[in-house]
Amino acid sequence: MTSFCSARLRVQAEQQALGYTRGLSLSLQTSRGSFVHMKCLLIASESAEVLFYWTDPEFQHNVQQQYGASQEEGHGLPAFEDSISTLFAPVIISCITMVDRLGDSYASFTTENNHVYVLQQFEECLYIAVNGDGDEDEDDLRRKIYVMKKMVEVLFGMVTLSSTLLRKELRPQDTELRTRLWKKLQSLLETYSHLRQNDQSFLVEAVERLIHPTLCEQCIEFLERRLVQQLNSSGERAGEEVVHAFILVHTKLLAFYSSRNASSLVTSDLLALIIMAQNMYPSSSDLDDNGPEDAESTSGSGPDVFYTPEPSPSEGDSDSSNGSSKLKKTHDMPVFEFVDPDLQMAEDSLQSLRVPPPDPSTPQRVFLEVSLKEGLYPMMPHSMYCLPLWPGITLVLLTKIPTSALAMPIYVFLEAFAKLEKRLQEGHEGSAATRGPPAIQEVRGKLDKFIKVLGPSDIQAVPLLNVWTEFKNRAFSKGGHGFTKDLIPWCKNMKTQLCGIYRQCFLSDSGSVDAPRHLSLGLQERAQALVQEKLMDWKEFLLVKSKRNITMVSYLEDFPGLIHFICIDRSTGQMIAPSLNITEHNSSELGKGPVAQFIKRKVWGLVNAARRYLQKGYSTVTLRDGDFFFCYFLWFENETGFKLDAVDLPILPDDSAPIGMLSWDYYRKLRRFYSKNHQGELVRCFELLTIHLGVIPSEIILQHCRQLASKLWEPSRNPLL
Amino acid sequence: MPPDLKSCSFFFLYDGSKVKEEQDPTRKGICYFYPEETPIDKQELLCGQLAGAGRCVSELSSSPVHVLRLRRNKFSIRMKDDFLWALGCFVDIPTVSVCELLDHLISLFCFYNGSVRQSYQLNRPETLASRWAQYLSHHQQGTNDLHHIFSCIKTIDSTNVDPLLLLKAALILQACQRCPLVLAGCILFRGRVVSTQMTPALTMKVMVHENETFIKSQRHSSAGSSAVKDPVSSVPVFLTTSELHYLQSTPVDKEIKTHSTPCKETQHRKPRLSRTLSDTLSTDSEPSESGSSQSLLKSPPSSTDNVFVPGTADPLLSSSSPLPNGKEEDVSFYHSFCTNGDDITDNSMSSSGAEANCASGGIAGNGRTMLDFNGAAGTEEVCDGGLRRGSGHVVPSGAEGAPDCQNDDSLVPMMLYLHRVKGLVLILLVERHFLDDSASMEEVYHSSLAALNGLEAHLRSVTPGAPGAQGPYIFAHFDSIQSTLTSNLSGRPGAAHERPFVRAASLLHSHFCNTETLQEAIIRSAGAAVYGTRSVAQETYFLQHGTVRNSGIPNHQDSAFSLPTKARHRLLKHGVNLL
Repeated sequence: MTSFCSARLRVQAEQQALGYTRGLSLSLQTSRGSFVHMKCLLIASESAEVLFYWTDPEFQHNVQQQYGASQEEGHGLPAFEDSISTLFAPVIISCITMVDRLGDSYASFTTENNHVYVLQQFEECLYIAVNGDGDEDEDDLRRKIYVMKKMVEVLFGMVTLSSTLLRKELRPQDTELRTRLWKKLQSLLETYSHLRQNDQSFLVEAVERLIHPTLCEQCIEFLERRLVQQLNSSGERAGEEVVHAFILVHTKLLAFYSSRNASSLVTSDLLALIIMAQNMYPSSSDLDDNGPEDAESTSGSGPDVFYTPEPSPSEGDSDSSNGSSKLKKTHDMPVFEFVDPDLQMAEDSLQSLRVPPPDPSTPQRVFLEVSLKEGLYPMMPHSMYCLPLWPGITLVLLTKIPTSALAMPIYVFLEAFAKLEKRLQEGHEGSAATRGPPAIQEVRGKLDKFIKVLGPSDIQAVPLLNVWTEFKNRAFSKGGHGFTKDLIPWCKNMKTQLCGIYRQCFLSDSGSVDAPRHLSLGLQERAQALVQEKLMDWKEFLLVKSKRNITMVSYLEDFPGLIHFICIDRSTGQMIAPSLNITEHNSSELGKGPVAQFIKRKVWGLVNAARRYLQKGYSTVTLRDGDFFFCYFLWFENETGFKLDAVDLPILPDDSAPIGMLSWDYYRKLRRFYSKNHQGELVRCFELLTIHLGVIPSEIILQHCRQLASKLWEPSRNPLL
Repeated sequence: MPPDLKSCSFFFLYDGSKVKEEQDPTRKGICYFYPEETPIDKQELLCGQLAGAGRCVSELSSSPVHVLRLRRNKFSIRMKDDFLWALGCFVDIPTVSVCELLDHLISLFCFYNGSVRQSYQLNRPETLASRWAQYLSHHQQGTNDLHHIFSCIKTIDSTNVDPLLLLKAALILQACQRCPLVLAGCILFRGRVVSTQMTPALTMKVMVHENETFIKSQRHSSAGSSAVKDPVSSVPVFLTTSELHYLQSTPVDKEIKTHSTPCKETQHRKPRLSRTLSDTLSTDSEPSESGSSQSLLKSPPSSTDNVFVPGTADPLLSSSSPLPNGKEEDVSFYHSFCTNGDDITDNSMSSSGAEANCASGGIAGNGRTMLDFNGAAGTEEVCDGGLRRGSGHVVPSGAEGAPDCQNDDSLVPMMLYLHRVKGLVLILLVERHFLDDSASMEEVYHSSLAALNGLEAHLRSVTPGAPGAQGPYIFAHFDSIQSTLTSNLSGRPGAAHERPFVRAASLLHSHFCNTETLQEAIIRSAGAAVYGTRSVAQETYFLQHGTVRNSGIPNHQDSAFSLPTKARHRLLKHGVNLL
């Protein structure tokens, strides 16, 4: 039924699109002025519905003008999202058609004036990223798309596994809610873009630590002994348990502590959390740091884009106790009646009046990867508390929420049904389709038990139970068809239902007022005060230090001709690089403004070039470019530092997931790939990038690289570590 | 394993103007689709979707789509008027190369058929489809994988041929060019360039027709019917105004205006369309190499022992002024020798060349000013005035010849004159009315016949050198000015041990194309290290077999970093100088 509907919809849209494109071809001749900037990121459903968009002012202006031109009835400008969806509809529909009928789809378009369009489909969501100013190439746009997807996963967890639910999550019917959500995502995307263009750690996607060993050690000890212990023994923690705590100075990590029984936080998640923290409390000095060029590029939207307007704390305090409680009560109703995800649409429209403004004490729900003895669980629910200490310095607490145990079985079930669906789609039937692990019988028992457990709780498990009963009838009973292709829609249905349960548990705000589901505001304030007190004397030092973590000056004597370097330990996801200060008033060894900007562009270009070669299996690259000599090396070591032999690296297609650690950990894959030949050995992976003056003989350059590589990760020998 | 590099997986021309109404089927707009055996619904799918999506994006950006990538194919796209061309290649081929190839295909079509819109109005689509197929297949013939990356001209192996033969070829062309109706020419031997006066792009176009006839004639001869057809043939072609302008702006013609003085009284002087080798060759059709060159270099061109077409000499072509002196001529020849006789421009640029041209200018000036539309090219009116005169006199009702200096793409009808001597062929780009001018025809024919025969005999006797002397290394050297490729890659496409080299060259070539400032690069995977270097005029790639494996950590003793030195050393014997 649904497939028929979508098919009909598609045909309609296709006809529309065809007519539309024909119309366009006529108006193409009357081309309007070209738009130099023009950036956009769009998430659309298969029926060309906009699930999210972000545009720069130029793009918006362009779209409005185009739409205004073709719309002469004078109904006024239609909502921007309608225009943008109409404009992109032909491409979106064509893309879907190509997948359906050719099994291939668009990866990118480049126009003669060098506008780049990158398209990437994830399940039923199509991401389109556009750049019109030459700042970003195809790889950059693809990376942006993957980062956007990563942020959506961190914010929505396993709901992303069900396209139906994700669509509703990303595009709430209620316009106010939708606006707020989109604003938040837009600002996250802008924060990311800003960091990628200005922060070396986001350029190479590895965490940069503040290099001050004694202070770091003290802080870690403080976090462990004083802060986390105190928080976790408090009665006001509402069942939550602090598992990770870290202090950020701008984007740099001062101290990181994980409680003993916690799983480690992967780099990918940590980077995503830093983006979120930066988004919430953007370092004001970060804005000053922008060169004149940056200021210009953001002038259209003004600096306020980096600030998410938050209600002032005082107002929230007085309001949250009574105001939001009322709202929450009424908010309970639709959730209570939650029956089927399809019904949610109608209910969403009812919510328009009862969306509470975000309460500052409410933590951000984030979904992070957890590795336990039993295995790897992606997207496990956590709460994130972002407590500003001073502008630029932030304390982040991550807690495990009491109900998080539910997420694990849900993930196991989801995985089981996804596997089953895949096997059935591949044409396997009967026992061949059900071959484990986990064996379907095992899943059956566990799921029965799981539903029974859910029964008495607040969670509405009836629709899941119904679908599951039907599934069992078809799959296991004598009257059913067994494991055949007919079961595929029921696998999908089960997945949707499971995601629905997950959504109820971890995404909807169903906590009752009497028992708040997070650390109390008082507790948060105490934590904040505690760390503030500890760092009070260091505050100014830290802010300066974060700008000049290590400087090239200390390397000039040993490495004459060396201009810049970045060294990255991919096994720990950490990087070291001299600071690149590009401000007018803040001159560095590289000189002021333009020179530093020039070097910065070279560094950014080198990283991109190195990645392209790495993607094609080249682990060593040297380039003579103008007056400079660039080197890139990637190598493997075992635990003891023994250099391992190079192996042929995998050759990836052009449109593979971007090489990095933020959206997808390429290096983890790489280390696993390497480990295949080095069983039982823990493989570490390093990267070194250097820029030298071109006049230095290449032999000397290579010697420098060698020395840097061996020196940087040995704290005893490095005066700065 | 990556798929073999193949230059083209899809190619189509779609005419959007045929599909305007809702009920128009997409197939109406498909002018040509390759591979032709593709089911029609798949053709429709690709054409319809790519055209629709392409137009939508073009509209959003107010600029036509240039490149469109699918997951498994990449397409170079051109949109003009209502036409849309798409050339799809496998993703391993550099995007720049795919774009170059498509541009070349389109310009090839226009070269032989004139404007696309008009051709489709005048001809049956089937006829034109076979032309597209012909041009495409011509491009699929690349001898090795590198030909898909670098668009290059196939030349004879100059290291194997006596340089004097190349000089001889160059001189034949210069001689022909003395006829004002001849713009430029080239000489091919067995489908490979011996000498050319045209730009590489134009030479490539000219070669397509000849390659076809060469292949056909080979088939005929193998079938036993060695019936020699008319050795002289012609094909109508079209030049873009910019191409024409370029040809006309060569200094050969530049001098005409300034030096032409009407002096009809000198017209009775000896005809000397060929003042060069043919003089000696006609007396001794098979001169020893040294003898021929000796006589060339020593005999003053003003020598009167010119025996070719002595009686029928066109007085209009006779020289009014004797050549300045033999010595300067020699310098000029010597220069031409040095540059492999590739470019007459170089030749004429030399100090002596100007004077030599003065002489030829004199010829043209002698009462032939009406025909001499070439002459105007160098003047301030540039192509405009010259062409108008040309079209008035030469191009019959030259609708297309009507110059439009705003539009560089307007096409001027021309002719290809081909004179075949067995495996050798002389191709001249001539004015259309050259064929009506029997006197000029005969002159050109007779002036070159003996020389061509001689050249053919010599080239035929050249034993092909050991194919691709394989050393412990692979290299490729691309001369981007002359569009020639030197390489010791084996002819077999997709040879497994050569694949890493081709892949690296492809990547580096893209990088070089996208980064102007990049001069040198070494890239290394576990198995292979490739060195690439480029200058304004050339790109060179080098791989040394048996690179020692290492850990990948920076190490100055690593053999990969000695590649530049090795390349410099090794490639010297291939005539590649990287110093």
